[in-house]
Amino acid sequence: MSEKVLEVKNLKVEFNTDRGVATAVNGVNFDVYKGKTIGIVGESGSGKSVSALSIMRLIPNPPGRISGGEILFNGENLLNIPMEDMRRIRGNKIAMIFQEPMTSLNPVFTVGNQIEEVLELHQSHLSPKDRREKAVDMLRLVGIPSPEKRVTEYPHQMSGGMRQRVMIAMALSCEPDILIADEPTTALDVTIQAQILELMNKLQKELGMGIIMITHDLGVVAETCDDVAVMYCGQIVEHADVKTLFNHPQHPYTKGLIESIPSFDSTSGKSKEKLATIEGMVPSLFDLPEGCNFQDRCAYATEECRSKEPSLRPIASEHEVSCFNPLK
Amino acid sequence: MENAQVVTANMTQNKEQKSKSLWRHAFETLMKDKMAVAAIAIFIIYSIIALLTSVDIIAGDWAKEVGASYSPPSVENWFGTDIFGRSVVAKTLKGTQVAMSIGLFTATLSAIIGIILGSIAGYYGGKVDEIIVWFYTTFSSIPGIMLLVAITFILGKGLVAVYLALGLTSWVSLCRLIRGEVIRHKDREYVHAATAIGGGDFRKLFMHILPNVLHIVIINFSLQFQVAIKSEVILSYLGLGVQGRPSWGTMIDDAKLELARGVWWQLAAATFAMFVIVLSLNILGDALRDALDPKLKGK
Amino acid sequence: MNIWVYVLRRLLYVIPILLGVCLIIFVLFNVVAGDPTHLLLGKHATAKQMAELRHELGLDRPWFFQYLDLVKSAFTFDFGRSWSTKQSITTMISEGALPSLTLTIPGFVLTTIFSVSLSLLVAFYRGSFFDRFSVFICVGLMSISSLAYILFGQWFFAYYLGWFEISGYDSEFPNWIPYVQLPVLIWIILSIGPDLRFFRTIMLDEVYQDYVRTARSKGLGEKVILFKHVLKNAMIPIITYVVIQIPFLILGALLIESFFGIPGLGGITLNAINSSDFPVIRAMTVLSAVAYIIFSVITDVLYTIVDPRVRLK
Repeated sequence: MSEKVLEVKNLKVEFNTDRGVATAVNGVNFDVYKGKTIGIVGESGSGKSVSALSIMRLIPNPPGRISGGEILFNGENLLNIPMEDMRRIRGNKIAMIFQEPMTSLNPVFTVGNQIEEVLELHQSHLSPKDRREKAVDMLRLVGIPSPEKRVTEYPHQMSGGMRQRVMIAMALSCEPDILIADEPTTALDVTIQAQILELMNKLQKELGMGIIMITHDLGVVAETCDDVAVMYCGQIVEHADVKTLFNHPQHPYTKGLIESIPSFDSTSGKSKEKLATIEGMVPSLFDLPEGCNFQDRCAYATEECRSKEPSLRPIASEHEVSCFNPLK
Repeated sequence: MENAQVVTANMTQNKEQKSKSLWRHAFETLMKDKMAVAAIAIFIIYSIIALLTSVDIIAGDWAKEVGASYSPPSVENWFGTDIFGRSVVAKTLKGTQVAMSIGLFTATLSAIIGIILGSIAGYYGGKVDEIIVWFYTTFSSIPGIMLLVAITFILGKGLVAVYLALGLTSWVSLCRLIRGEVIRHKDREYVHAATAIGGGDFRKLFMHILPNVLHIVIINFSLQFQVAIKSEVILSYLGLGVQGRPSWGTMIDDAKLELARGVWWQLAAATFAMFVIVLSLNILGDALRDALDPKLKGK
Repeated sequence: MNIWVYVLRRLLYVIPILLGVCLIIFVLFNVVAGDPTHLLLGKHATAKQMAELRHELGLDRPWFFQYLDLVKSAFTFDFGRSWSTKQSITTMISEGALPSLTLTIPGFVLTTIFSVSLSLLVAFYRGSFFDRFSVFICVGLMSISSLAYILFGQWFFAYYLGWFEISGYDSEFPNWIPYVQLPVLIWIILSIGPDLRFFRTIMLDEVYQDYVRTARSKGLGEKVILFKHVLKNAMIPIITYVVIQIPFLILGALLIESFFGIPGLGGITLNAINSSDFPVIRAMTVLSAVAYIIFSVITDVLYTIVDPRVRLK
């Protein structure tokens, strides 16, 4: 196993709303390793994005609040350091890219300006000329054609895929230890999605950063991740390496997710007859059932599931599941 | 065709459910906002006063001499008397009628013109749209105060002239908004669905599109209502206001001769009465926008 | 597309608007308002006197030519003579513009500076008590009649306390300064409410945009984000809002000028309204409409320059 760079321990995030306090993330644990990618998968509202934003301490407060846990980055708890120190880490040691490449860049600054701004902040020894050169280099690195020209363009002059490349260039310009990617390909066309994921894989090999891949798309997980944590209602319900997870899912929810991926049988040339779906709806965070959060949608639920809350426990080496009746 | 109908029925139902829940949600949000509830209460109180004064149940005797000319506030006359020894409180109450009716008629008139022109321009597009856009661009290039003056010159003085002048000069912003919203909505699925079951233009516009832009009308209504009340003061100052009965505008205008003699109570009473209702309408307008405009939700 | 082509096209669109403005003014003053000779000569005028006057004023000519005269005046600024003072209206305007500007420019500049800076402050402390308080103050300020401010301000600060000149004007610089102090102060109080509220809305619209989150994720501090990223985006609507107010500065402030005896265009207009001096009212209307149209063109052109997203088609 390679070097551990980030440890998220028992993270809890709460949101104050009109209807009361919602616990969006409830006791989440995971680690990020150098050069490896951990995927955090779940439906919208499962708390995966909130977990990611918490690492950067970007939860809007109010209404959000990190109410418990630790985020250890190189042994230091990011939740306890002063905001100034946190800012020195953001964009420098831990960088982030977002779902909406169309709106995530500032429309009134050139892309070059926006990359140079990160360098100016975290690598102040560089001269303006060096910064421009580095910005061009970064654009070249992320595969933007004629970067010398593109560096003076505004975001609106680029396509969505190009903008996401710019976001990646910006995020990686200080060679961070960790890159958090929050649904980086969701807003893009399928062909562009593949290109962006490929680019991220390639850059990870070159630069060796750990990646946290937040996604609802198991296809993305299969292509990029080493480790996967499946989230449901603010908790991790299953955690395993990617092969184990796809081949031997233990939690009924994970199994449901995998079965609902449309697949294509290459031998017969037909798609699978019927797509499996998970019955029911995600319960509201204000109205969580007693016991297991998944009980109402689970075909295997028993009395125990309705009275006791399961917790994440190892069932094999490097494989944890939070279920009383894991699948065989 | 049968299929289309089923789809349409579903869509209409969905849309109605959605818009119903939007209104319901808006109402609940509004009721939770204490300031908004207070503003609504004040609006209702003012309306009741206006109604009661118009049938002379209160302040029917506003023209009666109750003391010496310009007597200062006292226990009998809380806000003193005016030049003719009439009670300022009674005049202020009577003025509520003028203010509320100006607000109501002006806002209604500007809403009617704005909705009609805006939806026609947005819905039909093309030449019709160009002409209406030309018309309101032209219209809004002329300063409102000049139009007001010109229109009251033509219509003569009096309450009806004030209604018309204020109403005819205040529809452009709503017209613009409605036009934009109608353009946005007319290509949505539910409108196409209405076409599929053979809805006419009129039906589509009024049954399907307008309910979805109604929130703009309501927000604009509360805005125009208070703007009109404030404008009445300016018209009174220009000598173009209401005649022969008390209005807050004429009372404030009178103060230009009174203040130098130390008579501050007419100005104070009318300004205060106006402040309370205009402030309430402002607060209500903001609360309505927060509750009804989904774009601003969560801020 | 070249910016000059855009300017040219935008200017061409001015023509139908200008013709429309003249048409509305013409219809209001020349057609619907009826014969002004009654107004001028009184009830006892003879038919001959009235016919002579009509001829003198050019009212016996076909409507179309009268309309053309009005359109022509929009370009030449030759508006004829005032009915009440018999002065050339063009002279009246050129004499009145300067006093108006000595009041409106300081008022406008100060209000804009105050309200933009305050809106940044409010955006920085958004959601706090300070934010809510300032919104409430704005709404409160906007809920009082402008006439009440002027009356009370003049009486209390100038008459009762004697801090300012009650009224009057001196066209020599710097002698006019004491005369415009209180009017400028009242102007600021009148306009800071709506301005601050508008700018705050713009700032808050921007503060919640995705690019702000990106800026934070880069490690930028809140102040840099606000003053660099947010402000530069907010400047686009702010510039539009500010520039379109400029034509109204030339027109002066109707009420303030008349109360403080400033011999500006606002006062001239007010006198004309009081004495039913149609040519002056018409001239001021045409003038302000032309100024407004010119500045809306300027605003549109500025918009395309300031906002890199606006692509000329």
